[in-house]
Amino acid sequence: MSGGSFLWKDVTVPFRAGESVATALMRAGIRDLGRSGAGAGMRYFCGIGACQSCLVSLGGSVVEACLTPACDGLKVEAVEVTHG
Amino acid sequence: MDRPADIVCDALVVGGGAAGVAAAVELCRAGLNVELVEQRPALGGAYYRQPAGGATATRPGSRRARQWSRLLDELRGAGVTPRECHVFLGVDTHGLALLDDRKGGRVRTVRTRAVIVAVGAVERVLPRPGWQLEGVVTAGGLQMLIKESGEAPTGSVLIVGNGPLTVALAADLARLGRPAVAVIEAGDPMTRPSAALRMAAFPGLVAEAAADLTRMHAAGTPWLRGSRLTTITREDGRLLASIEDRNGASRQIRADIVALHDGIRPNHFGLPPTTRDGLVVLHAGDCREALGVSSAEADGRAAAREAVALLSGAAAQRHAPEVTRQRRVQAVLASLFRPIRDDGGLAALPDETVLCRCEGRTVGQLRAMLTEPDPVGAREIKLNGRFGMGPCQGRFCADNVQALVSAVRPASQTVPLSRDRWPARPVLISALAAEEEAREE
Amino acid sequence: MVVVGAGIVGAATCYFLSKRGFRVRLIEAAAPAAAASGAADGAVSVASKRPGPMMTAALAGIALYRQLEQDGLFAGLFKSRPTVMVAENEKEAERLVEHAAALASEGMGLRYFEGGALRRHLPGVAPHVRLAVEVGEEGHAIGYEIVRRLIAASGVTVERGVAVTGLGPKDDGSGATAVRTALGVVEADHVVIAAGGGSAALLGLPHATQPRKGQLVVTERSPALAASLPGSLMSCRYLLSKDAIRVASAETGRRFGLVIDPLRTGQFLIGSTREERDDTGNDHDAVSRLLASAVKLMPALARLRVIRVFAGVRTATRDGLPIVGRMPGFENLLVATGFEGDGICLGPLIGREIARMVAGETTELDLTPFAPGRFELRSLVA
Repeated sequence: MSGGSFLWKDVTVPFRAGESVATALMRAGIRDLGRSGAGAGMRYFCGIGACQSCLVSLGGSVVEACLTPACDGLKVEAVEVTHG
Repeated sequence: MDRPADIVCDALVVGGGAAGVAAAVELCRAGLNVELVEQRPALGGAYYRQPAGGATATRPGSRRARQWSRLLDELRGAGVTPRECHVFLGVDTHGLALLDDRKGGRVRTVRTRAVIVAVGAVERVLPRPGWQLEGVVTAGGLQMLIKESGEAPTGSVLIVGNGPLTVALAADLARLGRPAVAVIEAGDPMTRPSAALRMAAFPGLVAEAAADLTRMHAAGTPWLRGSRLTTITREDGRLLASIEDRNGASRQIRADIVALHDGIRPNHFGLPPTTRDGLVVLHAGDCREALGVSSAEADGRAAAREAVALLSGAAAQRHAPEVTRQRRVQAVLASLFRPIRDDGGLAALPDETVLCRCEGRTVGQLRAMLTEPDPVGAREIKLNGRFGMGPCQGRFCADNVQALVSAVRPASQTVPLSRDRWPARPVLISALAAEEEAREE
Repeated sequence: MVVVGAGIVGAATCYFLSKRGFRVRLIEAAAPAAAASGAADGAVSVASKRPGPMMTAALAGIALYRQLEQDGLFAGLFKSRPTVMVAENEKEAERLVEHAAALASEGMGLRYFEGGALRRHLPGVAPHVRLAVEVGEEGHAIGYEIVRRLIAASGVTVERGVAVTGLGPKDDGSGATAVRTALGVVEADHVVIAAGGGSAALLGLPHATQPRKGQLVVTERSPALAASLPGSLMSCRYLLSKDAIRVASAETGRRFGLVIDPLRTGQFLIGSTREERDDTGNDHDAVSRLLASAVKLMPALARLRVIRVFAGVRTATRDGLPIVGRMPGFENLLVATGFEGDGICLGPLIGREIARMVAGETTELDLTPFAPGRFELRSLVA
């Protein structure tokens, strides 16, 4: 799979092949990933899928951005958009 | 009546880092049918995290890169095909191991005779006001980023905490041409001569440390020892860290990213702790005891041998001289980096400091529970206080809650905020729901 | 007074006794709400009941929750909301109509939804659902929150980690009962045993109760989805067989009864099984089947993540009725246990009624159907 770009809100975020969504977002300087249902601020933190704070919504489901390989054409949203 | 398991094997190894790969190789050589699962799309774990998309490795051509290459060759030679993007969810009460196949969107059940858990360590982070802000990361998490991308992160970085990992990270950033703004270190190895002397027994480590410090210093990153972080706030879109030195003098440092690190702890959250009902369960590598990569590999092999012995009904003992050696190393490093002051720890934190980030629960809220007339127990702290009730299942708050409870009530027992229940990680209902629904049986 | 057991029944008894000025010791083997009360689904509900003593009790239980919420004791803890019973095929619809008629004849306010009206009222429910009957005057409360509130309001400090090892006559020869614990003998004017599954053995009624495990699932928060439901969703498929009596010694299968509960936090609580077991573990088979039925009923649940799976053990009785009242032949020994899945609903009510009995007053609720005397007695553990 080669690199490409995905959408975060209305921003196009480029990524390299094999990178996680989190790595691409951080490179783009996007550090605020919105709020969870409990009001906690979402953001990259541990990088190993443990802390559950880099959560984003993909296709209506919540995933850890640091464990999710970036794919071309993805629409990545903040958790609050799909889960309220 | 349970349905048949999706996967049947002799041994399941969880984690594709140093310990897991080494364990899988040994188990295969012993003639067992082995499954190796890894949560990420590629093997490597933390130490051997690989660059993605053509990025150059942070320390190319190093001893580390050669060690990983060798391990991968062994794995290929052993004929193990790892299952990537599979998150281990734990073992249920029927002894079934559960895997979340993230690509396939299904939970796969595994009937096996032994599980070797090699999921790596979790970083310890002491809470401070503002640690929950965006831009605040763990030092290990930042290392993962730079290993994967092969470059320094976007924005300036301040490194804060305690222990040698902070120096290694600073050296990496220096090598990548974007040195950290500073390293704030709670200890002061310069004032620990006896520990420094004991380090002489490990010349390789000393050489690596000296190289890192030199690199850091040459790039202009100050090593502010005997200092600690008091708060982090946001100002004009950047982070503002308040630092207090050993004389109580404070200063403020601006950065886009603040990387925190207060040590590494073993990782057992949601994981089956021990052999149970005939299923052999062993832990190996940093998740069992955080001792670094060479210990992890040795421990992985030793755990495999132990599993083989147990499965054949023999008594077994784990024997790995490298582990023992690394334990000595860690002990010396701990002495060397011991914080120079007792800053009051968690007991001195302001009430508004967030303890459980997932649920937004603060130090003040925990204190209020602990000062109620009826002395609450562990479970009540969790259920009523909601500490540890969020998706991270206590990974980043359990220790801190425990420490605060002990500070306020020294005679209290351990607060079991994290349990060994599955799912060890959150899992989609679409993946977990059976293909057919419940029927009366 | 000594109350044994700090679950919801014990905590409520302790509260109502304290309110009357009695000095109460609340003795608990582990911790408040450590057992079923802390692993409950929180239903304060009459919807699944058939006319009879359990329906009468449930109605009174709900009314008391409402009153205590208004009075302030349960402020913020009781969420008044309907239960929506759904039928997924024609056969279930017929049974649901019968059941609803019985509820209606007891004066319950019901709303019926079919076709387009059902789609509009319950947009998240799958299209194959034929009929929904909404039972209005219901609610939800979280067991461990209620327990904590009752204990705090009683002013009593719970004696945690103190196991009661037996009952026996007081040393003063009065014939009244004392409680033996690991820490010594505790004497009192009255003893109330509200120890859930531990009660029967203490009282010499060894086969009067059986454990009945229930597995439950908690999801991550989705406030938007939770708000789309007017209340909890209950599949009527199994609720109508819930009351079937199981013989304890038979090899048991397990039953699945689906309830989808939107919590205040925006999380969903999905349950549950009924299994003749007393452990609190979870197995993939049960959980995956439960979730499959939940997704079939409410497809949008599929995209939520499960963050926790747990189980509670109900205390069930042979005849499906709780055991409440004075132990025959003992002037100062009372019992309140065997509430199966109705402990949260009935806990505060029973606590109030037990306090009345202790004070020598007549109870508001007719407790004769629940009399301990209906079981054979053995001699008390000395």
